[in-house]
Amino acid sequence: MAENLPPSSAQHDAGNVTTAVANPTHLVIDALPPGYSSKPAGEPEREAIIFTIDGAEVSAPAGLMLVDAAKYGGVEIPVFCYEPKLGAPVGACRMCLVEIEGIPKLQTACSTPVRDGMSVVTKSPRVIEAQNSVVEFILANHPLDCPVCDKGGECPLQDISYGWGRGKSRFTEPKRHFEKPVALSPSIAIDRERCILCYRCVRFSQEVSEDYQLVLLERGADAHVGTFDGTEYIAPFSGNIIELCPVGALTSRAYRFRARPWDIEQGGSVCSMCPGQCNVTYTVRDEKVMRVLQRDNHAVDDGWLCDRGRFAYQAWESEARITQPLVRQGDKLLPARWGYALDVAASALKKAGARSAALAGGGTTNEEGWLLRRLLIEGLGSHNIDSRRGGKLSADVARTLTEPDVTLSIPDVEWADAILVLATELVDEMPILDLRVRKAVNQHGAKLAVATARPSSLDEKATIAARFAPKAVDAFAQALLRSIAGEDLGDLPTRAGADGEEIAAIAALLNGAERPAILWGEKVLYYAGGAAPAMTVANIVDKLGVAKTPGAGHMQIPVQANGRGLREIGFLPNLGPALSEEGDGKSSDEIAAALGDEVNALILMGVDPMVDYPNGAEWDDALAKAGTVISFSTWLSGTAERHADVVFPLEVGPEKEGTLTHPDGRLQRLRQTVERAGEVNAGWWAIDQLSSRVGLDLGVKVVHQATAQIADGVPIYAGITPEEVGGTGVRWQEREAATNRLAPSRTTFDLPEPAAAAEPNGRLRLGTFRSLWGGGDVENAATLAPLVSRTRVELSPADGERLGVNTGDSVTLNTDSGEVTAIVALRDSIPTGSAFLLDSRDDGVRRAVAGSPALVEVVK
Amino acid sequence: MSLSNELLFDNIDEPNLKSIEVYEQRGGYDELKRVLRELPPEAVLNELQASGLRGRGGAGFAMGTKAGFLPKGDMDKYLCCNADESEPGTFKDRELMQKNPHQLIEGMIISSFAAGINKAFIYIRGEYEEQADVLEAATKEAYEKGYLGENILGSGFGVSLVVHRGAGAYICGEETALLDSLEGKRGNPRLKPPFPANAGLFQGPTLINNVETLSNVSHITKMGGLKYAEIGTEKSTGTKLVSISGCVQKPGNYEIDLGTPSREILFDLAGGPLPGREFKAWFPGGSSSPVLTPAEFDLPYDFDSIAAAGSMLGSGAIIMIDDSVSMVDVALRTAKFYKHESCGKCTPCREGTSWTVKMLQRIDDGLATPMDLDIIESVCEQIMGNCLCVLGDAMAMPVSSMVKKFRPEFEAHIEAARLARTPLDDATLADEINLKELAAH
Repeated sequence: MAENLPPSSAQHDAGNVTTAVANPTHLVIDALPPGYSSKPAGEPEREAIIFTIDGAEVSAPAGLMLVDAAKYGGVEIPVFCYEPKLGAPVGACRMCLVEIEGIPKLQTACSTPVRDGMSVVTKSPRVIEAQNSVVEFILANHPLDCPVCDKGGECPLQDISYGWGRGKSRFTEPKRHFEKPVALSPSIAIDRERCILCYRCVRFSQEVSEDYQLVLLERGADAHVGTFDGTEYIAPFSGNIIELCPVGALTSRAYRFRARPWDIEQGGSVCSMCPGQCNVTYTVRDEKVMRVLQRDNHAVDDGWLCDRGRFAYQAWESEARITQPLVRQGDKLLPARWGYALDVAASALKKAGARSAALAGGGTTNEEGWLLRRLLIEGLGSHNIDSRRGGKLSADVARTLTEPDVTLSIPDVEWADAILVLATELVDEMPILDLRVRKAVNQHGAKLAVATARPSSLDEKATIAARFAPKAVDAFAQALLRSIAGEDLGDLPTRAGADGEEIAAIAALLNGAERPAILWGEKVLYYAGGAAPAMTVANIVDKLGVAKTPGAGHMQIPVQANGRGLREIGFLPNLGPALSEEGDGKSSDEIAAALGDEVNALILMGVDPMVDYPNGAEWDDALAKAGTVISFSTWLSGTAERHADVVFPLEVGPEKEGTLTHPDGRLQRLRQTVERAGEVNAGWWAIDQLSSRVGLDLGVKVVHQATAQIADGVPIYAGITPEEVGGTGVRWQEREAATNRLAPSRTTFDLPEPAAAAEPNGRLRLGTFRSLWGGGDVENAATLAPLVSRTRVELSPADGERLGVNTGDSVTLNTDSGEVTAIVALRDSIPTGSAFLLDSRDDGVRRAVAGSPALVEVVK
Repeated sequence: MSLSNELLFDNIDEPNLKSIEVYEQRGGYDELKRVLRELPPEAVLNELQASGLRGRGGAGFAMGTKAGFLPKGDMDKYLCCNADESEPGTFKDRELMQKNPHQLIEGMIISSFAAGINKAFIYIRGEYEEQADVLEAATKEAYEKGYLGENILGSGFGVSLVVHRGAGAYICGEETALLDSLEGKRGNPRLKPPFPANAGLFQGPTLINNVETLSNVSHITKMGGLKYAEIGTEKSTGTKLVSISGCVQKPGNYEIDLGTPSREILFDLAGGPLPGREFKAWFPGGSSSPVLTPAEFDLPYDFDSIAAAGSMLGSGAIIMIDDSVSMVDVALRTAKFYKHESCGKCTPCREGTSWTVKMLQRIDDGLATPMDLDIIESVCEQIMGNCLCVLGDAMAMPVSSMVKKFRPEFEAHIEAARLARTPLDDATLADEINLKELAAH
C-alpha cells in the first residue's frame, strides 16, 4: 500500500525522514530504503550537500532528485508520473514544477538533481498557480466518478487534488469519452477515461519487466494506453501496473467492486509460493483475502510482485482446496474429525517407529520443519528426514556454499558489475529476481552472462548467452572453472555440448569484474552428477577470490520456497542445525527406494514427490509400497489423492504464522491475517498433536515457542525473535550469531570426471522445464487458470523442418521411460538437436521423464 | 529592394541543379575538397563560430557554438539534419532540398568534419516524398563520387549519410522527438537535460541542425566566417529564406539579408495585399509566433527586433492575414493544428490545447460569452513555459496574442454567433454534442 499513499506518508512510515533541523551540517543522513541494514557494497557513495527549500537549510545526499531531497526538509512535492523504481524520470505530468533560484522557467523537481547551494521554492504564488493549473488540466477530462471507482479512498489523484488543486474547475466542455471499462487482460481492466496518461504502466512494461506489450496509442488528447494490436496483456509481472496506476484507470478484475478502502484491513506478510519470498500485504475483508499487494522491501522484492503471487489468492477460496482432514477407507478418502485422523496417523507412526520418514518442502516454515524434525528424531528415533533431492550434501560443501563472505544478498545482485545466471530460468523459478537482474543491467550497467540448456528470457539482456546440452551442466561448469583458472579446457566443451569461445568469454567477464555475481539453480543437483555442480560452483567462487570483495559471490536458487531455511535448521538426513554433522538417515531418494518394510510410514509436509520431484513416476511406484502415507496438503492431487492414508489440510499463506529463510539468508516472518478456512488447523499444532500421541511433548502451545526453540537450537539463528525479524526481516549473516557458524574444513573440492552429453543418434537431447504457470495455486485461481499451458515440447525450427512438424502440431514423444503426447512450439533460439518438454504433474509427462532419460524421439 | 539571392538561392532555378554534374560545374564540392585539404577541424569550427550563424529551424541558437558543445574524443558522434519541416507556413527547406540537395549534403559533410562526426542522418517529413527521392538520389551520387563514406577524398575523414523518412508528425520536428523517432520509437520529446550534444541519438553526442542552417555551411567556409557576418545585422548575420504565404499578391520563398525592413519584404517582394484589401495581422515566424499588426511593419526583419516586439522570427515563415479573414477562424485553425499534433506526453499541452480548441469552437457555435476569452487567455498562460517541449507554447503564444490584440473582434464574433443561433439549435444542442463526441472516437 505504501505505493499508493502520498510519498511523505510512505516515507514517514519507513521512519527515514528527518525534518528540517537547526544545524543542518550535523544532520545524519539515513537514506536506506526499507529492508536495507547497510548500503550494498557496489552502490556509489553519495556526498551530503546542503540546499535551501522554502527557506529552510536542509542536508540531503547529492544527486537525489529534488522531489526526494525535499523530503529531507519535510516538504512534499506532488507527483504523478515520477516513480524512481521505473528508472529515469520522464517529467511528463508536470505536477512537480518548482521554482529554482537562477532558472527563469519552473523546473520539474522529479528530474532535477539537488546540488549544493541550490535554493528551491515550492510554495510561491507562481508555483502554486502552476500546481493548481496542472490539477485543473488533469481533471478536465477525468470523469470524477470517484463514488463508483475502486481507487476512491486510496487514490493519489484524490489526495493531490485536495492538497494542490484549486478545488474548482473552469472546464465546462464535454469530456473525452472511451468505452469503459475494457479488459486489458483476464486480470486487469482498463478505464481509459480515468487515465491521466502518466505513462507509469507503459514504462513498467517497456523498461522494468521488458515485456514490451503496453504502448501509448494515438496522440494528444486522444492518446490512450493499450497493447499494439489489441491482444491481451499477458506477462509474468503484469499485475504491478494496477498498483503503479495513480488513479483508478487500471483495476484488478478479481478485486473490482469487492470492497472499498474503508471496508478492509491490511495485513503484512510474506509470499511463500517460491523462493523469492516477496513481501506482501493482504487486503482482508470479512476474514477473506480480497487482494494481494506489494509491501516494498528493497532488500527482497524492490516493491514488485509476480502475477502468481498477486492473483493465486483466488485459489484459496476454491472448492478444490482441502479444508478438513481425510482418512482413507478402502480406496476412498473420506472426511474425518481431527481427533480420529490424528489417532490414525499417530498409531501408524508409533508402529513404524524408526522405520518412519518425513519429507518437507514448499512453504513449510522453519517452525514446522523444526517440530517435524523433533518428532522424527526424538519421538520416533528416525533420522530419515530430507528437504531436498539429489543425494546428501557433505557438510563441507554445504558450509562452503553458505559462507557469508561468498554469498550474495539481493541488493548485492543489483549492484554487481558482472552477473552469471547459471542453469536457472529466473522468471519461472524465482521471478522477482529476474526483475532485479534486469535492473542491474539497465540501471547500473552490469554485464550479464546467461548459461543455460534452454534459452532464457534473460538472453536478450545478456552480453553472452551460452548454451549447453540438456543435463550437461556438470561438464559446462567444470569447463568454465578451467577457463577461469586459465587452464586448457580439453574436451569439456564437447562433453557439455557447448561452445568453448562462449565459455572463455564468460570466464573473461567474471575474471574482469570487480564484483562478479553467480546465480545458480539448485535443481542442477537433481539431475547432474550429485553434488558435483555445487562443488564446481564452490571452486569457481574460490578461484574468483570473491571472499575478499564485499558484494561479490554466488546465490543458490532453491527449488523449494523455504529450501534454505529447512536446510539450515537441519531438515537433512546427514546434517543437523546450522549444518552441523548429525545423523545418518536416508536421503529422499533412499527413502523412495526403501519404502515398504524398511521405511513403513512417510510424512509429506507441503511437498508432493510425485509432482515436485523430477522422478515423480518412480515415487508413484514407490509410494504404492508404503505402509502409511501421511500428507499435509492444500490440494487433493498427486500423492494425496493416490497414496495418502491420512491427509491433513495445510494452511495457506495468510493463515500461517512462522518464519522462512530467504535464499540470501534473510529470516522473514509470516503473519496470520485471516482466520483459517473450514477446519484447517495450524501445521505446527498438528505436528505437536502427533508428537504427544507418540509420547513426545514438544512443549509448544503457540508457534513462537517453536521459534524460541529454533533460537536456542540453531546456533546461526541464536536469539532470534519474531520481533527482531519484524516487518522487513533480518539476514542472519549480519547478526552477531553468524560467528557461531561452523567453518568448512575445505573450500575447494576434487571434482569427478563429468559425464558427456548423450549422443543423439538420430534422436534429440531431452531437457525439461517448469513454468511459473503451474500447480494447484495457479490451476484453481480463476484469473490464472487460463495461463496453464498444455503439454508442450519446444523444438528448433531446423528440427521442426526435418521432422515435418510446425508450431501447434501434436506429436508423440518417446523416451526410454515412456511416451507422451505434446504440442509443438518451434522457437528460433532452441539449439538444433535439443528438445525441451514442459514438465508438469501430468501423468504421461511424469512417466516419460522418469529416470531423467537423456534422449527423446519425436514422432509426428 | 533587398532580394539578395546571393547565397542559398544563387541560381536556384538553374535546370537540373539537383544533379551532381551541374552542382559540380558550378563549383560544388570544391569547398569540401579545399576544407579537407587545407583546414583542420578546429579552424572550420572557428569559421562557423565567427560567422554568427544562428539556427534557421526556429530557436535561433548559434550553430557554431552548438557544434562546439560536442565532446571531443573517439566515439560515434551523430549529425541529424532536421528536415521535418512542418510548421504551418514554412516551405523553404522543401525548395532547398528539391532544387539544390548537394548544397545541403556538402554542408553536412563539412559540419561533420568540423565536429568530428562520423554518422549523419537527414530526417525528412514523410509527406516530402519527392524531396526525399531527390535527396536519396543525391546521396547516392555523393557516395559514388567519394564525398561520403570512409576516407573521403583520401583525407582519412569519413562520414556516412542516411536519408530517413518520418511518418508525418509535427512533433518529430522537435529535436529530441526526432531522435526517438529516428531510433524507431514513438516520437515523443525527451526530458532535457541531457542535451543531445551529450546524449542524443542512441545516447551518443549529437548535433541537430535545420536544412537551411546546414546549407549555409559551405558558403561560410568559402567566404570566411567574418565576411559572412558582415551580411545582415550584428546579431542576426547572413541571409534568411522567408516563406511568405497567406493574403499577399506574390507568395513564395525569398532570400533576404537579415535586418531588411519588414515592410520591404511584405510590400516590395510579396507585392502587398490583394487588390482592395488591407493587411490586418501577420505571423512573422510561422504559425507558432505571436501575431503582429500593421503597426509593426517597419520592424527590421531579424531575430532580435522581432523578439523585442513580443514575437519571434522562428523559421522565417511570414503568414499574412487581411481584413477579409476572421481572427476567430485563424485562432481556431491554429489551435486545432497544435491540438492535433500534440503528442500527449505532458499534461498542459495535451489538455490545454484540446480545451482551447473546445472553447474557440464554442465561440464559433454561438455558445460563448466574453468571459470565455479570459479563460482562453488564462489557459494559454498556464501552458506557456510549463510544458515538456515547446509545442504547447506554440499554440498558446499565437492564440493568446490574437485574443489580446483583437479582443473587440472576438467579442463581436461571440455576439454575432450567439444571435445567429436559432432556438432549434439550442434544443438540439445536447444531441449535437453527443454526435461530435461519437465522431471524434
